[in-house]
Amino acid sequence: MNWPDPSESYTTLGDGRVATAVECPNTLDALQDAVRRRVAEGLAIYAQGGRTSLDYGGTPLRPGVAVDMTALNRVIDYPAADMTITVESGITLGEIARTLDAEGQRLEIDAPQPDHATIGGVYATNSTGPRRYGSGRPRDQIIGVGFVTADGNVVKGGGRVVKNVAGYDFPKLLTGSLGTLGIISHLTLKVKPKPETSAIVCVGYDSIDVVAHDLARLNTSSTRPVAIELLNVPAAKRTLTEANRSLWTIVLAFEDNAASVAWQIDRIAVELSGTVQSVVQGQAIEPIRVALRDLPTANFGSVSIVANVRYSDVPVLAATVDPGLWTFQSHAGNGVIRLHSLVDDSATIEADVHRLRSSVEPSGGNLIVARCPADRKPSVGVWGSSRPDWVWSEKVKAALDPSGVMNPGRFVGKI
Amino acid sequence: MPATVAPAKMADRSVGERLLAALTEAVGEENLLSRRDELIVYECDGYVIEKNVPDVVVFPTSREQLIAVVKVCHEAKVPFVPRGAGTSLAGGTLAVGGGVMISLTRMKRILEINIRDRYAVVEPGVVNVWLTRALAGTGFHYAPDPSSQGACTLGGNVATNSGGPHTLKYGVTVNHVRGLELVLPDGSTVETGGIAEDAPGYDLTGLIVGHEGTFGIVSKIIVNLARDPEAGRTFLGVFDSVDDATATVSGIIAAGIVPAALEMLDNLMIRAIEEAFGFGFPTEAGAVLIIEIDGLEAGLDPDSHAIAEIVRSNGGEVRKSIAWRTRKEPEYVAIWKSRKSAFGAIGRLSPTFCTQDGVVPRTKLPQILRFIMAVGERHGLRIANVFHAGDGNIHPILLFDERDPEQVRRVLIASHEILDECINLGGSVTGEHGIGVEKMEFMPKLFSPEDLAAMVAIRNTFNPDGRCSPSKMLPMGGGCIEKKNPGHHASA
Ligand SMILES: Cc1cc2nc3c(=O)[nH]c(=O)nc-3n(C[C@H](O)[C@H](O)[C@H](O)COP(=O)(O)OP(=O)(O)OC[C@H]3O[C@@H](n4cnc5c(N)ncnc54)[C@H](O)[C@@H]3O)c2cc1C
Repeated sequence: MNWPDPSESYTTLGDGRVATAVECPNTLDALQDAVRRRVAEGLAIYAQGGRTSLDYGGTPLRPGVAVDMTALNRVIDYPAADMTITVESGITLGEIARTLDAEGQRLEIDAPQPDHATIGGVYATNSTGPRRYGSGRPRDQIIGVGFVTADGNVVKGGGRVVKNVAGYDFPKLLTGSLGTLGIISHLTLKVKPKPETSAIVCVGYDSIDVVAHDLARLNTSSTRPVAIELLNVPAAKRTLTEANRSLWTIVLAFEDNAASVAWQIDRIAVELSGTVQSVVQGQAIEPIRVALRDLPTANFGSVSIVANVRYSDVPVLAATVDPGLWTFQSHAGNGVIRLHSLVDDSATIEADVHRLRSSVEPSGGNLIVARCPADRKPSVGVWGSSRPDWVWSEKVKAALDPSGVMNPGRFVGKI
Repeated sequence: MPATVAPAKMADRSVGERLLAALTEAVGEENLLSRRDELIVYECDGYVIEKNVPDVVVFPTSREQLIAVVKVCHEAKVPFVPRGAGTSLAGGTLAVGGGVMISLTRMKRILEINIRDRYAVVEPGVVNVWLTRALAGTGFHYAPDPSSQGACTLGGNVATNSGGPHTLKYGVTVNHVRGLELVLPDGSTVETGGIAEDAPGYDLTGLIVGHEGTFGIVSKIIVNLARDPEAGRTFLGVFDSVDDATATVSGIIAAGIVPAALEMLDNLMIRAIEEAFGFGFPTEAGAVLIIEIDGLEAGLDPDSHAIAEIVRSNGGEVRKSIAWRTRKEPEYVAIWKSRKSAFGAIGRLSPTFCTQDGVVPRTKLPQILRFIMAVGERHGLRIANVFHAGDGNIHPILLFDERDPEQVRRVLIASHEILDECINLGGSVTGEHGIGVEKMEFMPKLFSPEDLAAMVAIRNTFNPDGRCSPSKMLPMGGGCIEKKNPGHHASA
């Protein structure tokens, strides 16, 4: 089977590859049926949600169909008093947020582009935002999952109650599996009451050594920030107001009742050595919150990378990042560093990717290339050096998708 | 995907001389038991209904010894089962079919504590509370706190994905494990996850936590360290009836408060604890709630007032209010000691008891508790309740006399009725104790044949010959062992 000509299909699968056909099931039965039919035709299955991250991962390996999940977008059950919600996977984060808002609740996941990103896509890509420091990662919110495997069966794990140890934890296994084990059809998530109020405090620095000192101080601060972001000048320019133009900026978010937030704002100014440049509260934080949330998938420059390091290594790596080449945003409390390239010189950028990777991998960190031109992917290496547990990822893949039809070519190793 | 697998090939019942010699060489004579009178201790864990004596118990003291032991078992084709402290309440450590029991209790070193990067690396035999003690004064703690924390091991916690009273706000074991090392049943090893977050590849760490020993043996764990709360308030709410207490639980959650812990004790439990510890629980009360909130001192008052109001509006009374800055304050220690020792106290009410573990959506607590009461009346059984109310995780304790076979029969029927009702109400048959050998027959009630086939396929990937922890968690062809006696067992 051959790839269709891009001029004959409007539906891209990512990296310039286009779909042979598109399925848009609006019931679980239709989804199962579509997978069965298309696999029988010898096609691969590429699930799509809000299409915000189609270039993420390796290049699609074999011709196949796009399965557009956005018509499977219902709330299945929302027992607000149980603080759980069960949804179909094609619903957007924004739609979930509106449903929860009516009961004064929210999902703790602040992934980028909520009006486009579907919850299935967020879970497939393990997409996170600044609030992961205070609220954990997607894996910490999921308690049940259903997914359609290559044979068209629905497989479930977990359930709808917040505590449950019956059976293997498929909800965790599916989180971040990039559609390679099956198409997530529905999920049950924990939700939380919305906090009474929030504040954002921006702190400026002229020296990375002082940044390092304050990040260590924040680790044992008497305050409890829910987000700790570190920005270089180009990242600050895209997210903050004119006033914040120090060499480095730490942005802290606080959420709690009014008394606690007020106390923390006062307290943090005393604890830190940097210069507090601005304090915003209540609704006024929205532009900054949204800008920081969406920066990870902002599509400027041609290359975007994500590195994960020990928390204490964030300033060490930061010191080596050239603000002429990259925007730098770090969820510094979690050791996550996100860079977007600022120049078109691909040789320079690629060399810098390799330099950064060789500085993080030896100490147990990792660096993935979240976005780059398709033709650069082989030389730049999307997922980084092979890890010892990838052979087990490959075996798990073989157990659930033995013929390798789900999203082939996109994930680590031979997955 | 195969729906079932052939039962593991069992070795000869008597362990051959060669195997014993090889195991002795692997761990040394001082780390091996093979005399029947020494082995009898290992015939069961906290679940005493099914018993079987392993052929030999080994106590590797290092990772290298552990790997050597597993390789010996692999080459000799004998089944083996990992065991931590043996506090499992589901028969997770039962040596089904005999074979080699591998006790991890001598792999008990805390290898590293790193406060700046908020992790600790431990061997699997480290007891949960040892880590808490090692962290005292650092401002950090390891969050999952099962009631058995004074005895149970972190390896056992990882294998069963343990919870505890404070998991309501802070999550269960899987939320606090960053990475681990697994010794596969052929003696090879794999490290998953790591100190840095979000390692590319599947979340194998998340999959392995809760595997109940059916993938291999966890030989090293990287756990996350959490900040200590700056302050807290712990309230004792006293109610005339269980219904008033459950209404309060719903009221607190509905008010948008996420307590650090929310535990309920009914009248029978209160009287047992009072008799044992004299903490000052009112013995006339229908139920009490231990309600705890924590956070920044500056922000605790609004929630404190709201909780007091919710308790009152449901006909209850806040009998004690403990304001604390550390979890070491005497009143705080006393109230939690009473709660966590509840099962020890039950012994005063009845010579034998059976603790169940089930979960319902938290709003269904009133229904399930009324159901439990009705079941007790119908079968003429006394049932005490002490449980993690905020999570909807119930622990009815059925009291009986094991010398009376008729009572025993009724206890088994009553337990099954309660667990079936948990499923009916949209819940699960285990919130923290696991499936083990005890609840395998419930798996097909919770999961479809496709779900189970996928689980079996994953189990067979890690454990292709089924030699590690055979006949656990997933029903295999051949059905289940018939239960004749619910025995003693204690729980959370
Ligand atoms: C009084 C009492 C109170 C309890 N309270 C709670 C509670 O609040 N919350 C809760 O969750 N549980 C509770 N439990 C249940 C029990 O303590 C937990 O399941 C605990 O995690 C078991 O730890 P252990 O070291 O005793 O493991 P064991 O009982 O020895 O083993 C448990 C299971 O883990 C496997 N295993 C052990 N070590 C390893 C390893 N290194 N690698 C792979 N598999 C391994 C075993 O094969 C077995 O399947 C309670 C038990 C008692 C007796």
